[in-house]
Amino acid sequence: MIPRRLAKNGIALTGIVIVSLYIIVILVSFFWLPFDPVKIDADHLLEEPSLKTGHIFGTDEFGRDILSRIMKGSLVSLVISLSATTMGALIGVTMGIWAGYLGGRWDNWIMRIADIIFAFPSLLLAIFVMAILGEKTWNVVIAIGIVYIPQFARISRGAILSVKTNEFVRAARSNGASAIFILYRHLLPNILVPIIVQVSLALSVSILLESSLSFLGLGIQPPWPSWGNMLSSARKVMVLAPWTAIYPGFAIVFLVLGFNLLGDGLRDILDPRLKNVG
Amino acid sequence: MESNVGRYIAKRLLSLIPVLFGVSLIVFFLVRLIPGSALQMYLGTQVEATAEQMVELKRIFGEDRPVLVLYVEWLGRLLQGDFGISLRTGREVLPDILSRLPLSLELTVMALLIALLFGIPQGILASLKRNPFVDVLNRVVGLLGLSLPQFWLAALMVLFFSGFRGWIPMGNYVGFFQDPLRNIQMLLLPSLAIGIGLAAVIMRYTRNSMLEVLEMDYIRTARAKGLRKRSVIFGHALKNAILPVITVAGFNTGYLLGGAIVIEEVFALPGMGRLALYAIYQRDYPVIQGIVLVIAAIFVLVNLATDLIYAMADPRIRLDDSGRKS
Amino acid sequence: MAITTNVEAILRVEGLVTGFRTGGGLVRAVEEVSFELHRGEILGIVGESGSGKSVTNLSILRLVQCPPGEVSAGRVLYGGKDLLSASEEEVRLVRGRNISMIFQDPLTSLNPVIKVGKQIAEAIRLHHGAKRREADARAVDMLRLIGIPDAERRASDYPHQFSGGMRQRVMIAMALSCDPEILIADEPTTALDVTIQAQILDLIRNLSAQSGTAVILVTHDLGVVAGMCDSVCVMYAGRIVERATVDDLFYDPLHPYTRGLLDSIPRTDSTGKERLYSIPGSPPNLVDLPEACPFQPRCPKAQEACARERPPEVTMAGRAPRTVRCWLHAGEDHHVS
Repeated sequence: MIPRRLAKNGIALTGIVIVSLYIIVILVSFFWLPFDPVKIDADHLLEEPSLKTGHIFGTDEFGRDILSRIMKGSLVSLVISLSATTMGALIGVTMGIWAGYLGGRWDNWIMRIADIIFAFPSLLLAIFVMAILGEKTWNVVIAIGIVYIPQFARISRGAILSVKTNEFVRAARSNGASAIFILYRHLLPNILVPIIVQVSLALSVSILLESSLSFLGLGIQPPWPSWGNMLSSARKVMVLAPWTAIYPGFAIVFLVLGFNLLGDGLRDILDPRLKNVG
Repeated sequence: MESNVGRYIAKRLLSLIPVLFGVSLIVFFLVRLIPGSALQMYLGTQVEATAEQMVELKRIFGEDRPVLVLYVEWLGRLLQGDFGISLRTGREVLPDILSRLPLSLELTVMALLIALLFGIPQGILASLKRNPFVDVLNRVVGLLGLSLPQFWLAALMVLFFSGFRGWIPMGNYVGFFQDPLRNIQMLLLPSLAIGIGLAAVIMRYTRNSMLEVLEMDYIRTARAKGLRKRSVIFGHALKNAILPVITVAGFNTGYLLGGAIVIEEVFALPGMGRLALYAIYQRDYPVIQGIVLVIAAIFVLVNLATDLIYAMADPRIRLDDSGRKS
Repeated sequence: MAITTNVEAILRVEGLVTGFRTGGGLVRAVEEVSFELHRGEILGIVGESGSGKSVTNLSILRLVQCPPGEVSAGRVLYGGKDLLSASEEEVRLVRGRNISMIFQDPLTSLNPVIKVGKQIAEAIRLHHGAKRREADARAVDMLRLIGIPDAERRASDYPHQFSGGMRQRVMIAMALSCDPEILIADEPTTALDVTIQAQILDLIRNLSAQSGTAVILVTHDLGVVAGMCDSVCVMYAGRIVERATVDDLFYDPLHPYTRGLLDSIPRTDSTGKERLYSIPGSPPNLVDLPEACPFQPRCPKAQEACARERPPEVTMAGRAPRTVRCWLHAGEDHHVS
């Protein structure tokens, strides 16, 4: 039923198509890339986009093919945003549902921790964590994942609170079911909808965060290509070679837009209360 | 009424204390996670020290005391406005931060104004002209706004406007009090890069909120009174529709502040963001700590201000209550 | 008070048709509705929910949301003008000044973020060109008139600070603040406690009697009609099935639906042993109504003609205008001159 509604919802469908395109690009990049994305080629520095040379998006200041680097970079972006979102969601949801389920003192303490993390603007928090952990790829995942913990905690706590008092919980409890059983077998499925929507929105934000960090030199380190560090190195040469700045930017915008469309469409489909809000 | 507002503000300020306390804990202990002590880092750039100097340095850097004692000492100094000394410049941290703060705040405020001034009127217009095309367009533009990396927009602006003198700050920044017009001219493009995405988001929220409100019974009442369309929309609908927009705008001020930090780097503006990045590249931890604390404090205060503005705009929120409940 | 045809009608609705476009098709919410309202008269419009009574009244002032709603035929004659073909600006000037409305739910019908005094003063300033201070003073007078204690202070309160009954009083104050000729009260007591209902109805009746304001009272409660109204329109499936004075309607109901409604009122003189009558079945879906009397499936007196063709509106003989839409009375058509 949901897949069919997904197909009927143009917004969500567009999102799925865009995200799938990127996944195809990643799969292709495992086997084939137009050029070597990291090999320096002193004969083709800053060449403009041209079909004749085969550099259809041009080359950068080291003569590397922009398209190949964008393709290689999409793997980085997607893997990091998926891992970071998964991390944030796992920790945040666990905190949130236990806080909501246990209530009282536990609730207070857990949510206070979430509040404290929430007191930092997200990009600043990620920058701060990167500054402390050092610029390693997996640290980017941690830095971005931390940002999501409070959001997921709040959403899942709220959702648990609203279903906790339902009859089936009372019934399960009176049958002697354990807290863990009740939470994961009965309550979690009931709060999946808001969490799924939040995941797709978090994916989009984490791509922006990753590229911002890399742009500032705090994320993925060269020569490994990421869209953010491509833009960062493009800054020095973009007046001469605008293509070095334009194409990686579009790569970010479309993927982020794809996740946003998907998340927005999913919200339409899964949350009927928000109907007819365009 | 006035005393209620005062009491409410006092209560909310008090409730910030545990949050700020937690922030200070995180900032302090996270920095201590860094491999290598601050003393080692300090010495890394210096020549060797004698044994006596080492004892003195160890005392200064607190390597002769337990961590908790150090935290309490540090917190005590923070409360007196002593944020420590930069490992690189040897200067006091707080004055350096405070001298950079106004530019970052100005960028944030300008970006917020741009977001509101573009977003709200466009949102109202979009809510009045309803057809399937406008609906989808509005939605896609709103989502696109969420999807644009601010630093990329900024880079494109540098690219396209580099020929126009005066619009790209690039190294010759002029303070507001030196020449307000030049200052605003210089900050216009950077603020646009920071705020335009939020403008699209605000537009979408305003429109959705307006559409919801326009269906309300009290709008029918207003029309039944014979009010002009203009009064119905601005006098009755907007006053209600603006409420969720306030929350969104306030919540996103942190996003704007974060954007300012990145955008300062692109436009070479001497704000807090550049100070922060420089400190990070140099591993100048007292400065990083100080900036993170200051920004977190500002962010928390902005959230408080948002709640206050919301409470003033919505009479159903009772200020003498403990929180946001209606 | 018997209403006779020689009293001038101040509002005349003729052949009103209003529909809503929905996903399932065109819903014909109001079909061929005609009635008139006389100076000082209280006219009841009764019917179940969905019978088109509210939409009829919203159509009079062109307040039906469009789209999806659309007034597609008919005339609403007021002050020598047809409000349906008049310009938006002309209708706007009639709203609130000549014809004003109060609605079912006073909580949702008052703007939650505007002080009640201002909500009342707004109309006064608009229609009488009063200065802010005069309008505010008049708003307080109105609040006092409709029985809000400490009116001066309460004028600067917000709607949520009032109780349900008080809110409806505020709505009435707002509606009457410009001395309208006609007040349309759309189920004004449905959302209120039973004890408050009577107070609000009394208030409407007294104010109407004092100022000579004619009232259209929309209700689903025949008891309210009996106590308040001079004449009644009974609506079913978007049509007026019977129109009569209150006395005629209660003593001699012509339409089987009216009869059914009357029979389903609990009677105070009953022994409590007999079961309360209820009309079997439920109102029809207004999308794609067949060419038949809409009441036919539920009608105890249905004949062959009822399933075949829609009954015409028949004007009956009598002192006052009386019409009925039923095949049982189709032969008794009587044109009063």
